[in-house]
Amino acid sequence: MGEKGTALQASLDRLLDSPGVNGVALIDAVTGLTYCTAGDIAEAGDGPEVSEFAALIAERLGAAGADGELESVVTTSTKRHQVLFSVVRPGGDPLILAAGLDRDRANMALALRSLGDRAAEVLA
Amino acid sequence: MTAPTARNVPALLQGLRTEGFSGTVRVSGLPGGSIHLRNGLVGAIETPGAPTATSALLTAGRIGDEDWLAACAAEPDADRLGGHLVAEGLIGAAELEVVCTAAVFDAAFAMALSPPGSWELSDREPVLLAEPGVEPRRLTEEASRRMALLSRLWGPPGELTRVRPARVAEAAPRGSDGWLARRHRDVLDSVNGRRTPRDIAFALGRGLYAVMLDLIRLEALRLVQWETRTTADGRPSTAPRVPQAEPTTAVRTTAVRPPEAAPLPKRRPGGASPAQDVGQKKKGG
Repeated sequence: MGEKGTALQASLDRLLDSPGVNGVALIDAVTGLTYCTAGDIAEAGDGPEVSEFAALIAERLGAAGADGELESVVTTSTKRHQVLFSVVRPGGDPLILAAGLDRDRANMALALRSLGDRAAEVLA
Repeated sequence: MTAPTARNVPALLQGLRTEGFSGTVRVSGLPGGSIHLRNGLVGAIETPGAPTATSALLTAGRIGDEDWLAACAAEPDADRLGGHLVAEGLIGAAELEVVCTAAVFDAAFAMALSPPGSWELSDREPVLLAEPGVEPRRLTEEASRRMALLSRLWGPPGELTRVRPARVAEAAPRGSDGWLARRHRDVLDSVNGRRTPRDIAFALGRGLYAVMLDLIRLEALRLVQWETRTTADGRPSTAPRVPQAEPTTAVRTTAVRPPEAAPLPKRRPGGASPAQDVGQKKKGG
């Protein structure tokens, strides 16, 4: 949505404090609807594409025998990382927290841990 | 106010956005519904075609019935109910925003599935709102995107709302589908050949569009089907009843034929019921 001043917007804005994080988006994992963005929207990724991509991976993993739900996906190019975190909520369809990271500025291991820890707090 | 002269609902909402209208737009039609605006932004949509945010919260068990009733009693103005739910710690503000926003988009999609009728404007009606609300233009764009995607994946979205999916009989038995996402398993457990996608959405407290997407996926996985079946699964048929000349053991695969034209049975004074006239010879006496 991108409107300023909401609780969701404040949650996503805080994620931009992590080193190297250029943009984040909270996306409905089923419908692809983008609920909120912060930072560079293009870096975070397009909602329908992100949800479709995550669903495809989850389905293929499941069909190949992997147990459990998809937790995260990391895609790396020469200049950036795109990280998708599954945000599970007590009720309702799952969400995806998509983040675009600058590869030169982000320590991947630290960023993954930091974002992973904070993904659960996005809906607080 | 110039908005009521708009040529369609999206144009109407856009006009009301410009005016900063706060109130309700009642749209007739099937399914029709009420669009609640605050300062020109769409805060909620109530339509028989899709579950509301309230329905999503309660059906999914996110907020218990007793907590809900207590909150409604404590805060009678539904416009401010969301704030009260958050203040009471029943749900986070961000999560409530997600639930209410999702419901608005889903209801807009449901209303877009068939041409709307007329509309009228009325005063503000208290309702659980998405804060601060959704830009009308974005609602229209998202509904169009959803229609286009469903058309590409399946066909006319309006027809998809009327199918009654059932489990594929020869599919893997229950319990062997553990690799499916939980929401897919929930949908699979909800289909019974009688429920439409809308029925399933209400039963699960999920969005209509999300359920439709999941059903398409389950059909692609050959776990559900929606051909019209009259006898295969033994469920009661809703087809017109016709007299059968004689029962046969042969498998009936053809469609039921409509009854042939015949005069209605006539009641005779002192006689038996018309059914007996048709089916039996009256014994003498």
